[in-house]
Amino acid sequence: MNEKNLLKGNIAIAKAALECGCSCYFGYPITPQTDIGEYLSLEMQKRNLAYVCAESEIGAINMALGAASSGEKVMTSSSSCAVALMQETLSYAASDELPIVLVNVMRAGPGQGYIFPSQGDYNQATIGGGNGDYKTIVLSPSSIQECIDLTYKSFHLAQKYKNPTILLVDGLLGQMAEPAIITENPYPEIDNSNWRLDGAKNRTSRKIHSLEPNQNKLNKHILKLYQKYQIIEQNEPDWEEYLCNDAEIILTAFGTMARSVKAVCNFFREKGIKMGVYRPITLYPFPYKRLRELSINAKHIIDIEMNMGQMLRDVRLSVLSNSQISFIGKPVGDWLKKEEIINTINTIIKEQYASI
Amino acid sequence: MQVYSIPKSIKENSKFTFCKGCDHGVAIKIIAEIIDELNLRENTIAISSSGCSVLLYNFLDVDCLEAPHGRACAVATGVKRAHRAKKDEKFVFTYQGDGDFASIGLSESMHSALRGENITAICINNTNYGMTGGQMGPTSTMGQLTTTSPLGRNKEYHGFPIKTAEQIALCEGTQFSARVALYDVKNILNAKKIIKKAFECQLNNKGFSFVEILSSCPTNWKLSPQDSHKKIAEELTKIYPLDIFKDTTND
Repeated sequence: MNEKNLLKGNIAIAKAALECGCSCYFGYPITPQTDIGEYLSLEMQKRNLAYVCAESEIGAINMALGAASSGEKVMTSSSSCAVALMQETLSYAASDELPIVLVNVMRAGPGQGYIFPSQGDYNQATIGGGNGDYKTIVLSPSSIQECIDLTYKSFHLAQKYKNPTILLVDGLLGQMAEPAIITENPYPEIDNSNWRLDGAKNRTSRKIHSLEPNQNKLNKHILKLYQKYQIIEQNEPDWEEYLCNDAEIILTAFGTMARSVKAVCNFFREKGIKMGVYRPITLYPFPYKRLRELSINAKHIIDIEMNMGQMLRDVRLSVLSNSQISFIGKPVGDWLKKEEIINTINTIIKEQYASI
Repeated sequence: MQVYSIPKSIKENSKFTFCKGCDHGVAIKIIAEIIDELNLRENTIAISSSGCSVLLYNFLDVDCLEAPHGRACAVATGVKRAHRAKKDEKFVFTYQGDGDFASIGLSESMHSALRGENITAICINNTNYGMTGGQMGPTSTMGQLTTTSPLGRNKEYHGFPIKTAEQIALCEGTQFSARVALYDVKNILNAKKIIKKAFECQLNNKGFSFVEILSSCPTNWKLSPQDSHKKIAEELTKIYPLDIFKDTTND
């Protein structure tokens, strides 16, 4: 504890989950996240905790749904096309208000795609592929240390808001190693004795369900969920600002991409260009408000992602119309290099701001 | 002298909302009686599913969780394991239809049986998708007229039905698998005995236990309640024999 170790992203997430009291894990193998389940298989068995090598991702997420009803801390992990399989149950969990933590270590491309690095599941995570009006909380780490910190935060927010929470991890981050500390979980335990299912002893029986044949009741239920989402949107947006205060050009990026983008920003700062980086940490709730404030003084926003422009939509929704918005992206494969980004930004600057 | 009372585990003032002559009400009542007799009410978590069986939680006075369609055995696995992780064993059973258990959910159902998950699954087999209006299901019999087999189920065109209790009995992790019916008092009493045995299988930590209940669906079969029970007694039990297909509970 509190010792810096060389840790792989996936293992850091697994260790942090154990550290903060995750007692149930259900999973199915898929690259590039399999070592989360491999690591937990032994550690959880040693501790007599719940671990099932599920028959499918559909099995895994539904085991997680059941386990979450007990009030225990529950996690499953998977990747892109297999997270697609879990969408139905995420919609159930949101409606049932059950706290499931889902780690998605992203693969690349639609369909089976491949295991190249990519950030192609921003839309899947933040908009969701399940049915009906619902939201999932989505956190995006940028370093191995943040994999640990945000694993703690995922469990905390899931329990606090009784809502499924996704830790959206770049495949790159899951598979790479860097020094990090398994700190202590900073969050308090949340009392769940007023809703969990543990047998109707000395109380009336409880039912957790999403079926509601009475339209007034169903409307009321969804409006109540949206009141909760409003509180989440007020209280939980989280982001990192890098040299943004006087920035005339703001680069936006999430996850690991923000690291190369900071290096790009340093390059332009040395040239005397007032540039900053804005990195959303919560992808839902997206930190619109602060980006909007910053955009008032910025001439240009350049969104940079390893996809075809998925966060771009949220960036557009944040930014006032007088700011120009450009996009630099690439769907899959080798991460956009610092030099490539610099060249593209130079072209954008030359075209539009010869005076800067 | 009181000769009959409503089980304690049935919610007060509840009235079954199933169709006239449907066996769901009888099935839920005997399950409630067994829960009372085994003193399980305060220790039970029931998993309902999609279709008519979802309504279980309106009547049964125990903690209930609704599973997505077909996933009840996976959800029950999660419930059972989570409570075990906190050293607080719960009695966990699913209540599903044949479409839920043996069609859309066959993977989750069979893998729970194969793992020997210590849960009990109850499957109401009424040979069609009841709540959606009587479509052909995995258990619809050869020649059966449904809204999606309007000329009758045909092996060349539609393929074969599943004999669920026999299939589940083949799984190594299954410790108890049986089929019962509810068409007369004798069978209702026998069904109660069998379901109790399945519940005890779990209570004794034996592994997966399963009971398929042949049930009437007068509305979609377009028969009177009496003729529906006659159909079960005379036709369905010949195709789906009432038997215990696996029982290792005394081993």
